[in-house]
Amino acid sequence: MFFHPKLRVEDFEAAAMPHFPDLYRTARLLAQDRAEAEDLVQEVYLEAWKSFHRFQAGTNCRAWLFKILFHRLHHFRRRWAKAAKVEAFENPEDQDHLIAETPVPQEIRDEDVLQALGKVPIEFREVVLLADVQEFSYKEIAETMKLPLGTVMSRLSRGRKLLRQELAGVAQAFGITPAKDPPRAGESA
Amino acid sequence: MNVLNFNSEQCARIRRHLDAYLSNELLVETTSDVLRHLESCEACSRELEARTRVRDALRRVAVSQIPPEELRQSIQRQLRKMQPGFFGGPQRLTWAVALLIIVVVLGGFATEQWIRVQRGRRIVASVLALGVSDHLQCAIKGHNYPNIANPPEKLRQQLGPQYAGLLEVVQQKLPGFEVLEAHICSVQGSPRKYVHFITRGHGTILSVILTRREGEQLPNGKWLVSGSVGLYEAHLEGMNAAGFESKEYLGFVVSDLSPAITVQIATELAPPLKAALDAGTGSEARLDLDAVPFARGGSAGVSPAVARATCPGVPVL
Repeated sequence: MFFHPKLRVEDFEAAAMPHFPDLYRTARLLAQDRAEAEDLVQEVYLEAWKSFHRFQAGTNCRAWLFKILFHRLHHFRRRWAKAAKVEAFENPEDQDHLIAETPVPQEIRDEDVLQALGKVPIEFREVVLLADVQEFSYKEIAETMKLPLGTVMSRLSRGRKLLRQELAGVAQAFGITPAKDPPRAGESA
Repeated sequence: MNVLNFNSEQCARIRRHLDAYLSNELLVETTSDVLRHLESCEACSRELEARTRVRDALRRVAVSQIPPEELRQSIQRQLRKMQPGFFGGPQRLTWAVALLIIVVVLGGFATEQWIRVQRGRRIVASVLALGVSDHLQCAIKGHNYPNIANPPEKLRQQLGPQYAGLLEVVQQKLPGFEVLEAHICSVQGSPRKYVHFITRGHGTILSVILTRREGEQLPNGKWLVSGSVGLYEAHLEGMNAAGFESKEYLGFVVSDLSPAITVQIATELAPPLKAALDAGTGSEARLDLDAVPFARGGSAGVSPAVARATCPGVPVL
């Protein structure tokens, strides 16, 4: 294609800039610091504009931008180097539902969430953020992250549990007591 | 770590679905099962509430990350800088390659056209130079015409029987011009013979010249200034010349009148002259310059009047 008649930066901005807050928030919770997050978001937009002629109007611009975000993020992090670490967390025969859920503090402070989230390995954090904050469907996450659907589901489940565990640990360290559940019949300590 | 020992297998089954339930990914039937169970199971309800609380806290934290306005502005500034001009933007490389191809193709085409035009002009100029050289050397520099027009009988005699008939055509088709002289001549240094009508009108001298083709051929196409009569024009040596072709002859109208007037005169004159020349060449009385006795300059029997018409001493163009 030599010429795209609609290739105007105004059109690109109209389609892409409304997603700027979501992209920034996700980047901020995945990047190591604010500067890295800002660089990341900026690169996403410049990269997206360069390939805007390949974007089909009417398709999901938000998902497209997130796909670029994760592509850039993984490029930064050289994700492959951490593959072994991820596998250690991923167990296809996940029997976690048999393990008692970690108690969750009644009052969850923002700083505790941030601290706990920082301790969750990024591969799980990504999926949790896409599902729980950005409300992407499993299918959209699978396409965005280029992962099999089963892996998305297992990472989401595991990621939520890890976050909950870290949250409980952080809360306990600050003397915040977990919500007290009444004892359940048949539950053993 | 605590291990649950559910008495209810249903609790275990429902909790396996809680992640998908929280993400709204369950089928309608399974969602109904989960909801029915939650209504009657306080433990599972609390578990769902705990998970929801974590999720809501996460959402709250995410929303509290305020996107910097300066970052948005910086991105937009950079995007504007990358706004494509006609050849800019994301397809810059594609445009550059396309432009290069166009330049090469058009450049090659233009060069070829330019060469063709130049070649065509050279051919037209070289052919029309034949007429211009005779006009300049015989009529202008040689002044081989009387101030008072020679009588038609003399002109017909000088032209010989082969060309005498052309005199009437020239007289008829050149209103406002007086035929002062008509003869067969040549220019020094060239064996070529010319049938030369020297006329006066519009305050100047105008020549009508015919010569036999010796392989010369005018180019077709755009060099024709008047397609209906097959006219060519050129500006040479300060003269404007219009030329035409018949089967065996080249014809010229040469004067210092404007190109437009020269072409207009030639437009009137060329068709009847061409017709007469073509008819003559097809008949037994074939026009042949060499057959005219006095055209053989310097040979025995050439009259003084004709000898004068050989335009001696004028260099060949």
